[in-house]
Amino acid sequence: MSLLALHNINKSFGPLKALNDLSFEIGENEVVGLLGDNGAGKSTTVNLISGIHQPTSGHISVDGQKQAFTCRRDSAEAGVETIYQNTALVDSLSISRNIFLGREITNRFGMLNLRKMRDISMHVLESAVHISGIDSPDKMVGDLSGGQKQAVAIARAVFFKRRVLLLDEPTSALSVRETEALLNQVLKLKAEGVSSVLVTHNLYHAYQVCDRFVIMSHGTKVLDVAKEDTSIEQLTQHVVMT
Amino acid sequence: MTVTDYPDARAGTQRRSPSDWLHQILSMPAGAILMVFLVVQLACVIAGLMFPDDFRYLSGQNMGIMMRSVPVLGCLALGAGILMIAGEFDLSIGSVYTFTAVIMAVLVGNGVDAFIAAPAGIAVGALIGLINGGLTLRFNLPSFIVTLGGLLFWRGAVLLINGAVQVRFDPNPVFDAMFGGTILGLNAAFLWFLGLCGVFYLLLHRHRFGNHVFATGGNRAAATAIGVNTGRIKLIAFAIAGGMAAFAGILATTRVGSVQPGQGTGLELQAIAACVIGGLSLRGGRGSILGVFLGVMLIFTITDVLLLMRAPGFYLDMFIATLIVVASIFNHGLDRRGGAL
Repeated sequence: MSLLALHNINKSFGPLKALNDLSFEIGENEVVGLLGDNGAGKSTTVNLISGIHQPTSGHISVDGQKQAFTCRRDSAEAGVETIYQNTALVDSLSISRNIFLGREITNRFGMLNLRKMRDISMHVLESAVHISGIDSPDKMVGDLSGGQKQAVAIARAVFFKRRVLLLDEPTSALSVRETEALLNQVLKLKAEGVSSVLVTHNLYHAYQVCDRFVIMSHGTKVLDVAKEDTSIEQLTQHVVMT
Repeated sequence: MTVTDYPDARAGTQRRSPSDWLHQILSMPAGAILMVFLVVQLACVIAGLMFPDDFRYLSGQNMGIMMRSVPVLGCLALGAGILMIAGEFDLSIGSVYTFTAVIMAVLVGNGVDAFIAAPAGIAVGALIGLINGGLTLRFNLPSFIVTLGGLLFWRGAVLLINGAVQVRFDPNPVFDAMFGGTILGLNAAFLWFLGLCGVFYLLLHRHRFGNHVFATGGNRAAATAIGVNTGRIKLIAFAIAGGMAAFAGILATTRVGSVQPGQGTGLELQAIAACVIGGLSLRGGRGSILGVFLGVMLIFTITDVLLLMRAPGFYLDMFIATLIVVASIFNHGLDRRGGAL
């Protein structure tokens, strides 16, 4: 049984049909590359899985159970975390406050347990996410590099035991070294049982870590193929030609 | 591993040098204003000790005047500050301050107990804040425009209710002592202000609500995406700003014993100025209660110094204006750098 699946999803914005009968699956311990040119429908797909948009028809299932995500919190509760290109972090809050934003550790009166939030954040950053340069959970996110911000976003997903990470163009603002670290992180998380969907323009990055590729064009799936059955040349040809 | 099993992140932390501390203080939103405030206080104390007859900064009378002057603007600035951190402005708080004070004074004049009239005034202030917030969010308008309308509307409403005459406020002695008297030689209104600073500090920096206020003002899209109800946070912040304007009206009215129809004019700008001087970002998401407190105190310290030096009033406006622009330049630098909480 698949971990997360899209079943015959259609999505229209007024007269514009953004997705057309889209179906694909994400298995346990699997990294899926969602590829396609601009306007292919990748971002709409991410927004549907993360609960920001709702399908016009069709449905999403997690562990075979039909889901109706109406907001990001719904998808998060089902185990899905979306990490956006510019990450959903608040620059003027510290790392630990960002990790726990919306799920703060508090007493019964809503007062924050800042010490516990700091301790856990530091532990998660040190043990689960290996990005150098983060020496304190009190550091402001605005002072971090792009790669470090991705690390904080991933740390949040790891701590809250998400099972599927949706990474939307995660490497577009990263240096070569940070990209390498992030891709290694995806593989490490896979080994720990966290599946990922890597949405990217960069086929080389996708080919490095993905087990399977779903290529989209004009809102339609044009290819769904395992890594062992394809090559980067064939993937490039499909993205360019469709 | 459970939440209680994680190691202490501070274990093994290296000792910080004085220059590290100084750097950390200056990187705080209120760091620069704290340094300026301490320098100004130090200079005033030294001048007061050296010239006790000519510069009576340390006299009991001068301290009493300071304590009576600070709370009204201070309470307005606390409310305006929370709203600014949430990413919105309220230009109507000066008018709301007068309007709710008139309502309270009229109620007391008609035989209603002050302990009932005052909460009613605060409730009206909070309700006006909710209306401002509701209009801003429902129609996706800039709060600057909505509350500019509110500034004019509620100023007109004051004249509608009671005309252009002052309203006497004669509360019962207990109420008068609680809000206008002295406790252990300290002005009661100033103690209220200090207490509210403490409450607002806990609310903004130590409570879940404050975390959501910073997130809402700092990156609304991110806060919404993570599940924070940013609309509700903004509405509450608007209500707090309105309620605090009404509370400031209670303090001022009890001290003076009457309400003048034009008494709140310009206070909204002074409150926002105090917040800006205190390091609050005009774009939202950054600031501190310490900054608001220091911003208010600095405005009144400078006012006090200029009065003690018998300087003409326009010097004060020029000085405050310079301070606002300098603080804004500094804050803009922090905004571009990402800022710090």
